[in-house]
Amino acid sequence: MISNINPTRMELLRLKKRLLLAQRGHRLLKDKRDELMRQLIGMIDEVKTLRLLIEKEFHTILEGFMLAKAKMGPYQTEQALWFPKKKISVDITEKNLMSVKVPIFKKEITGTILPYGFLNTSGEMDISLIKFEKFIESLLILAEKEKTIQLLATEIQETRRRVNALEYRLIPEFEETIKAISMKLTETERSNTIRLMKVKELIRSH
Amino acid sequence: MNTNIAAMGEKDIMLIFKAVGADVFPVRDINKASSMLKKIARENYGIIFITETIASKLDSVIKEYAEMVKPSIVVIPGLGEKSNYAIEVLRNAIIKASGTDVF
Repeated sequence: MISNINPTRMELLRLKKRLLLAQRGHRLLKDKRDELMRQLIGMIDEVKTLRLLIEKEFHTILEGFMLAKAKMGPYQTEQALWFPKKKISVDITEKNLMSVKVPIFKKEITGTILPYGFLNTSGEMDISLIKFEKFIESLLILAEKEKTIQLLATEIQETRRRVNALEYRLIPEFEETIKAISMKLTETERSNTIRLMKVKELIRSH
Repeated sequence: MNTNIAAMGEKDIMLIFKAVGADVFPVRDINKASSMLKKIARENYGIIFITETIASKLDSVIKEYAEMVKPSIVVIPGLGEKSNYAIEVLRNAIIKASGTDVF
């Protein structure tokens, strides 16, 4: 119950309004939480399989690359790759998913993947670089999905806290106070009537 | 918003990212890695790839960026032993959200 509140009719009306508002907010937030949860659950499996797949694939690519590098010699490799022709950048747009802003990445690429001539480099290097170029696409998808999950998770946590605060604290508090005030009001009304009756009796007996 | 891609980790792995045109930041001294990551994150990078071995040591810094839209920090496996760091991060996020381990 809210302490130090005046048990007046005004206060009662005000509280009733606030209770209604809180109940409406509670219902809305609950719906939001459920929908966010649904979205998250739907994405979990997808991300998990994607993540495992990517880790495996990246490992094979990296192994191939390391072998090629060992074949060519570290110095040669560095020389061949240090000035890339390719320039990659990502365009981030925001998507609104249940009021959570999630990023969407779109890659923009200029130039070719092989920045070197064919003279001093091995074919394995070409193969692993071309593989990696294709692979970067799935890395971007993974980045997007993982970020979305992170953001959704935070939002769900926040929404859940709000729902719980309304459900277990604010709404019961309002209900209790409303009850207390209306009891107090009826009590004063009753005592008023009794007083009037008494006065009437007094007057009559004179 | 147009942003670049950064990669951070062991020098050997960085070479392959360099080839696709990402900006690379090889880590030589692990103690300097956290200030390096903070610096990178302040710049205009939308995605930062970071190798697992480094990421597991920078856990607290990475968590700071988990709730921001930009940058996205993506953990990639390194050459050494797999440590499942990325999966754990996701699992924790989901436990935080749902209260149960559904991952």
